Amino acid sequence: MTAAPQTTPRTVIETRGLTKRFQGLVSVNNVSFQIAEGETLGVIGPNGAGKTTLVNMISGTLTPSEGQVVFEGQVINDVPAFRRAHLGIARTFQVMKPFHGMTVLENVAVGALFGRGAERSMAAAKEKAREWLEFTGLGRRIDANAEALGGPDRKRLEFAKALSMQPRLLLLDEVMAGLNPVEVDEVVDLIKKIRSQGMALLVIEHVVKAIRSLSDRVMVLHHGEKIADGDPTRVLEDPRVIEAYLGKRRT
Amino acid sequence: MKRLILPLAVLVALALAFLPMVGSDTMVQFGINALLLATLAQSWNILGGFGGYVSFGNSVFYGLGTYGTAIAMTNYNLPFGVGLVIGVILAMIGAALVGLPILRLRGPYFAIATLGLNGAMMAIFSNLPIAGSNIGLVLPLARNDAMFYELALGLLVVCTLTVLWISRSRYGMGLIAIREDEDAAGVMGVNATLWKVSALVLASIFTAVAGGIHAYWSTFVDPASAFDSTLNVRMVIMCVFGGPGTVFGPVIGSFVLSAVYEVLAAQISTAAALLFGFVIVLAVVFMPRGLADVVKGGRAISWRYFIRNIRENRL
Repeated sequence: MTAAPQTTPRTVIETRGLTKRFQGLVSVNNVSFQIAEGETLGVIGPNGAGKTTLVNMISGTLTPSEGQVVFEGQVINDVPAFRRAHLGIARTFQVMKPFHGMTVLENVAVGALFGRGAERSMAAAKEKAREWLEFTGLGRRIDANAEALGGPDRKRLEFAKALSMQPRLLLLDEVMAGLNPVEVDEVVDLIKKIRSQGMALLVIEHVVKAIRSLSDRVMVLHHGEKIADGDPTRVLEDPRVIEAYLGKRRT
Repeated sequence: MKRLILPLAVLVALALAFLPMVGSDTMVQFGINALLLATLAQSWNILGGFGGYVSFGNSVFYGLGTYGTAIAMTNYNLPFGVGLVIGVILAMIGAALVGLPILRLRGPYFAIATLGLNGAMMAIFSNLPIAGSNIGLVLPLARNDAMFYELALGLLVVCTLTVLWISRSRYGMGLIAIREDEDAAGVMGVNATLWKVSALVLASIFTAVAGGIHAYWSTFVDPASAFDSTLNVRMVIMCVFGGPGTVFGPVIGSFVLSAVYEVLAAQISTAAALLFGFVIVLAVVFMPRGLADVVKGGRAISWRYFIRNIRENRL
């Protein structure tokens, strides 16, 4: 065993009583959590539990009704989305949004040009993009048009785009939706590879097996409220969590 | 094919530069109009083609360039060059003032908001004594078509070089990202507001210079001709016909359409506009992504290409 020096990892992202109301509907209600450097937080919950709304408030596409988003010690509620990207927040979209009319390489180069690294030259950005495409296993499709990619390759592209921004926090919104079990395993391997890069990860997922193997901690949302947060095995066996997902056990 | 385009464009530009020495007066005059229109289509291409924002307000910058030049030359006896600079500054200020609020609107809402700009400007300039109110201004006469031709050609070359730079730069990548998905672009770090407004300001520069050149050439400016919304429609048609978001598409598109219109007008004067409209409808049906897309296919293009376009558009 190698005895690593014991330092408490820095908190990268923290929310304090985060709430989002859409007119009458409370989508996210008083949710507080934090993720440290190198840590992976799995977020699960039934459809409509507020998972994506939470991600939208962190990435800046929605402003919270109440509460605070704190990134590396700084309250970023009023920081627009593009500036959050500069700070080091990257995300993938549940409905993938590749830039059509651009090649795969150019799609990823956008992240290198405008993200935290903010390369000024096209050549350098394309070089970085090439590296990330190799990393995500899309090296063979570099010159393809983005719209020509199939499902699993689109996910890889989505990963490469986010990674090329050199984020400190990566938000993955249901990246495994629509994949078959083999492809899910491939994506799990890819996320494990990303974890070893040391950034903070927030993974929204329905595939419980994947969440269990990936997460350091699991948080469960139900009707916008946090109902559990902790060790994956313990959380996934919590009767309240099972009830939220499957309904009450009949005895 | 791709490697050939750039040297070919340089050759064409050089050949065009010699036209006033060999061509007839009518040809040179047709040339000036065609070159100015191509410049307008090319500058519309910056925000419209690359950024995906369809503007019907670009003719306002043309009008501001026209009046800036005319007012400077007639009321203050300033040289033409100074007039152009004043026109450009007016247009840039106009673009920034207009762009900041209305570029928040997306898609069709932006286009609708820009529609009203022309009328508003026409009303303002019709009531400005310094601009000759609704009578207009008469500029000093300069009988030198060759000079105007070379000026128009130079402007088109500079404008196209700018677009070439955009197509290969970080700036252009940001614009294309905004066109394809503005939310995704923002989340990836593109400052969409800054990018869009600067694209409009950039377009306004070339548009205003074109207006200034036309004002001095035609020696007469009035509100109706300066703020002509059909001029804006022509920019859009020519750019889309040639290929929006490409470097040479808008230039080729506007040359072709100018020529088509000229031929139609000479042959069958009254029905020309009708037939011109017919040509445009056919073009949109058979090649919705413009001439540039057809050319890109090179020799592989066949009737299948046109059939596929019809299928894709469910016509």
